[in-house]
Amino acid sequence: MKLEIRDLQVRFGGPAARPVASVAGLTVDAGEIVGLAGESGSGKSMTILAVLGLAGTAGATVTGSVKLDGQELTGLSGAALRAIRGRRIAAIFQSPSLAFNPVFRVGELVSRTLRLHGLPAGEARERADAAMRSVLLPPDLLRRYPAQLSGGQLQRVAIALALALRAEVLLADEPTSALDVTVQAEVLELLRELRDARGMAILFVSHDLAVIAELCDRVAIMRSGEVVEQGLTGQVLAAPRHAYTRELLAAVPRLDGPGPGGPGPGPGG
Amino acid sequence: MRRFARFLRANPLIATGGAISLLILLVALAAPLLAPYPADAGSATHPEIALQAPSLQHLFGTDQVGRDVFSRVLYGARVSPLVALVVLLLACAVGIPLGVIAGYFGGAGDEAIMRITDVFLAFPSLLLALAFAAVLPPSLTSLTIAIAITWWPWYTRLIRGQAASVAGRPYVEACRALGIPSWRILLRHVLPNSVTPLIVQVSLDFGGVILTASALSFLGLGAQDPTPDWGLMVAEGENYFTTQWWLVTFPGLAILLTAMAFTLLGDGLRDVLDPRRVVLR
Amino acid sequence: MPGEAMLAVRDLRVTFGPVRAVDGVSLEIGRGPFGVALVGESGSGKTTVGRAILRLVPAAGGTIRFEGQDVLGLRGRPLREYRRAAQMVFQDADNSLDPRMRIGATLGEVLRAHGLAAHGLAAHGPAGRGAVGDRVAALLREAALDPELASRYPHQLSGGQRQRVAIARALAVSPRLLVLDEPTSALDVTAQARILALVRRLREERQLAYLLITHNLAIIPELCEQAVVLYLGRVAETGPTAGLLARPAHPYTLALRSAVPEVDAAARRSRIILSGDTPHAAAPPPGCPFHPRCPLAVDACRTTVPELRAVAPGRQAACHRAGEVLAGLRPPGAAPQFRGQLADELP
Repeated sequence: MKLEIRDLQVRFGGPAARPVASVAGLTVDAGEIVGLAGESGSGKSMTILAVLGLAGTAGATVTGSVKLDGQELTGLSGAALRAIRGRRIAAIFQSPSLAFNPVFRVGELVSRTLRLHGLPAGEARERADAAMRSVLLPPDLLRRYPAQLSGGQLQRVAIALALALRAEVLLADEPTSALDVTVQAEVLELLRELRDARGMAILFVSHDLAVIAELCDRVAIMRSGEVVEQGLTGQVLAAPRHAYTRELLAAVPRLDGPGPGGPGPGPGG
Repeated sequence: MRRFARFLRANPLIATGGAISLLILLVALAAPLLAPYPADAGSATHPEIALQAPSLQHLFGTDQVGRDVFSRVLYGARVSPLVALVVLLLACAVGIPLGVIAGYFGGAGDEAIMRITDVFLAFPSLLLALAFAAVLPPSLTSLTIAIAITWWPWYTRLIRGQAASVAGRPYVEACRALGIPSWRILLRHVLPNSVTPLIVQVSLDFGGVILTASALSFLGLGAQDPTPDWGLMVAEGENYFTTQWWLVTFPGLAILLTAMAFTLLGDGLRDVLDPRRVVLR
Repeated sequence: MPGEAMLAVRDLRVTFGPVRAVDGVSLEIGRGPFGVALVGESGSGKTTVGRAILRLVPAAGGTIRFEGQDVLGLRGRPLREYRRAAQMVFQDADNSLDPRMRIGATLGEVLRAHGLAAHGLAAHGPAGRGAVGDRVAALLREAALDPELASRYPHQLSGGQRQRVAIARALAVSPRLLVLDEPTSALDVTAQARILALVRRLREERQLAYLLITHNLAIIPELCEQAVVLYLGRVAETGPTAGLLARPAHPYTLALRSAVPEVDAAARRSRIILSGDTPHAAAPPPGCPFHPRCPLAVDACRTTVPELRAVAPGRQAACHRAGEVLAGLRPPGAAPQFRGQLADELP
């Protein structure tokens, strides 16, 4: 198991406080995309932060275990975590423009991150260029400023950075929610490639069940901080066992749904 | 009452700033009762006891013509803060409407207003105030008007930027789409949402105005002797600073305290006025 | 479509400096209940069309007629009356409510501005007493919200609730035409479903005609009879929603439809991945604006701008190969473009 989460609990306030995210058991293997589905407030984003070891900066306390290739991550020192974060576990978020400092060229973030993880300048540049070509972006886009790139392009640069670092695990928190649907299709295709050609382990967080249905091999449904159901995507969505999963499924609009004059959709007005 | 106490505990800035401001206000009102030598705040002079160090009879010592500094500082609470208050009120009364209109409507009106503002801002405010004060008969009133004239452009510029930014916000656009008349939008939406940085600026300017007023008074263009204006007292005591430190120090401390009180108040107000502020656990 | 169109937009053009955000768009909305979807991605100009209809941005050309009357030339009183008949629910519900005003005050303000209250009451206080307060409560209930929310501030409500307040506010003036700009974009899937159900209900109860602006194809079948697909400020195709989605006549619609993720594996179509991002409206390509990304482009597409032409009864498309697409032409084997690229990187 590449990434193994066990009895993870994230809480604000003392040990008696109710956890905002509670994951009893979740694994992501190499060459697999696991989806974490839920609405706002379900705790899915906090889970990602906890895996990255960043929950503390938000003021939360984390208990439980997160293992990467068997190595325990919780409780690691700041320096040890920093060596892992970015290098072996990469993350992309909903708003790619937030990841890039607007006053620096995009390539500077990429090369600086690569150098921070020990690569000499020349090799850093080579890897960055190669990674950009892998995501089908011309390497000279690295010389542009974030404001000159579209959301889709920025997201692909973020993925290129993960590639250049040779990360083994990718955590994606709603990476396509802010993108146009055709650009989303492109990014999802790229993620599939990462899984197939690079054997990356990907944890994909989203509130969009349809995207999860298409992309993820396995899925865990979260509600109010708890995982209520998980399993193979096909099975969970075809035969949901939990009422909340059924509720989510009923709410997804269908392209071939009934017309305006026909019967109403799932939940009432 | 209990809610008020809880409010004060949650907002230490307002509590402290407000308390000191209240204190200054009380001193100003009760000066005749508190001052041991009220006549010294007026035209009385006692050259025979000039330049005496602080003692039990004269808590803050006496100045160069023998007046009790303590009494004069107490009475000064009526003068300097009042001047600053009036100046700032006038500056706001002129500056805010102009800035809001310029920012919201843009176009030719904005250009016209901002160019006029630029003219005023091109001159160092002290020189400008000097010029105005020079053509008016020297008095506290002239001083107030002169400083107010040089102060309003800063507020216009400050609030114009805010108003322009608010004017572009979705809720203002929604109001226009809903057919709400412009004057209502200006008054109920643009103004309240633009004014916060101004409140902080105004409270910070309190001390600045007092200092400007004192400079002008020193040059003879404002408060005239024997008015117990703190700035004037500092100016008058400047020459004696190294030896008779009490002439400058106590009025100076009074200015410091007043400016600090209003700054704290302004900071606290800004936090309270934002309905979105997060309540910390 | 019964009778004359309630809203007729012909050849609308909107420019922002040198940028042609809207470049000759025509559409019609029939009398209510009737829904038209305006579909497009970023840079398509769809939001600008909505704002131009409501006179929030100036039009550089074309005409807009509402119930037979010209809209673009209105001023003063007639403009204010138009603003009662046609309303907009904005995209950014989080920011379309004044953060410093309570919900009740926001709704009450609209009522008072149009003299829809029996008497003018003090503008302070949550819902106010008397006529205004009652109407505010009624509006909130109609939008499936608890009237108690009138005393809250926007930041105390959830995203879905804010969106419903925005809808309630638009309904306060009893409009006949509603423009909904991305009403569900920022919402979770269950909140989204509730909003859509609300619009359906209001459509019947108030006989509303509306323009639904969205990039999410999945929400349009249940709300809209007609669909208009925009690309880079021009109409790509238009027609009845069901037909347009089942058998598109434009390659862009094909790609758009194929990109919509589906929960049911059976409903999925083979992906058509478009290369690159939408070009900037400031520098549109020559010929057909879609040709650089079109998997079916031919020489004519690079040189000649295709006109919007009828391709079937009730269906129009702006494509040189529209007939073929309608008949079933598809891009040769959806080529996943990334395949093989990443293999080079393996250690």
